Amino acid sequence: MISSTIGIWNYWIVFCLMMIGLFLVIGRKNFLKKIVGLTIFQTSVFLLYITFGKIKGGTPPILNESIESIYSNPLPHVLILTAIVVGVATTALGLSLVLKINTEYGSIEEDDISAQDLVDYHDDIETGKNVDLKFKQ
Amino acid sequence: MISELLINAFLVTIMLSIAIALIKTRTVIFTVILTSAYSLVAALMFITLDAVDVAFTEASVGAGISTILFLAAMAYLPKKEEESISSEFIPALSCIILGGILIWCSYDLPEIGQFTAPIHQHIAPEYIKGSKEDIGIPNIVTSVLASYRGYDTFGETIVVFTAGVAVLALLQKKDPAKKNKSQPKQKIRKNA
Repeated sequence: MISSTIGIWNYWIVFCLMMIGLFLVIGRKNFLKKIVGLTIFQTSVFLLYITFGKIKGGTPPILNESIESIYSNPLPHVLILTAIVVGVATTALGLSLVLKINTEYGSIEEDDISAQDLVDYHDDIETGKNVDLKFKQ
Repeated sequence: MISELLINAFLVTIMLSIAIALIKTRTVIFTVILTSAYSLVAALMFITLDAVDVAFTEASVGAGISTILFLAAMAYLPKKEEESISSEFIPALSCIILGGILIWCSYDLPEIGQFTAPIHQHIAPEYIKGSKEDIGIPNIVTSVLASYRGYDTFGETIVVFTAGVAVLALLQKKDPAKKNKSQPKQKIRKNA
C-alpha cells in the first residue's frame, strides 16, 4: 500500500503544481504573477516527463563499460533540455511585453488597464471620434 | 530502492509548499526569490531521477538566467501586487476540478521506475545500444540531442533566435527626434 502510494505520489504532486501554475495564470490579475505561473507550470511538466524516464536502480545515461548497469531513458531528458531553453526564451519575451505595457499604461494590473481602456473609449464617443469597432458589442 | 523514492516524494512536497507560498505572497521580490528556489529544488529532483544534464541546465538556466531576467524587469515595475477586485472563485474552482480529474487518471499511469512501462520499450533501447558505435560519445543525452535528433535542436535555436529578435524589437528605445511626431499616433494605439 505504502510503496504503491509512493509510486504515484510524484504524479499527484506534479498535478497539484500544474494546477497552481494554471491558477496563477488565469486567476491572478498581475501580469508578472501570470508569467511566474507559466514558469511554475512549465517546470511541473518537466518533472512529469523526467519522472516517466526513470528506471528503478538505473543510472544516469552515460555509458560505462566497467560496470554492468541499466540506464534511465535518455529521450525525455533530451526533450526537456530543449524545453528548458525555449521556456526561458518565452519568459524573456513575456517580461518584455509586460515592460512595454507598463510604459504605455503605467500599471501591470489587468483591472487598471481595462478601466483605462474603458475611459478612453467613452472619451472617444463624446468627442465623436472614429471608434474602434473592436469595442462595439 | 524505496529510499530513492522517499527522497523524491520529500523534494516534490517541498516544491508544493513553495508553490503554495507563491500563491500567498503579494510582494514582487519574494515572488522572484521563491521562483528561483522552486527551480533549484526542481534541479535537485532531476538529479535523483537520473537526469543529470537536465539538472545542470535547470540550475543554470532556470534558476540563474530567469531569475536575472525577473530581477531586471522588476526594477521597472511596481513593487507590490494589488488585491484584485473580481472574485477568484471561478478560476480556483476550475483548477481544482481539472486537478481532481488528472489525479483520478493518475491511477492508470505506470508506477515510477517500472522497467515494463511503454516509454522504455520503443526507441530508447536503440539509442542506448547504438550511441557508442554510431556517434562515439559516452553521454547518450548528448548524442541524441546533437545527432539522432539534431533537427529538434536546430528548431530550438530558431525559436530562441526569434524570441531574441522579438525582445529587441519590443524594448527598442524610440528616437527622441521622431518621438514628438509619433505622439498622436501613440494615443490611438493605446485605445486599440
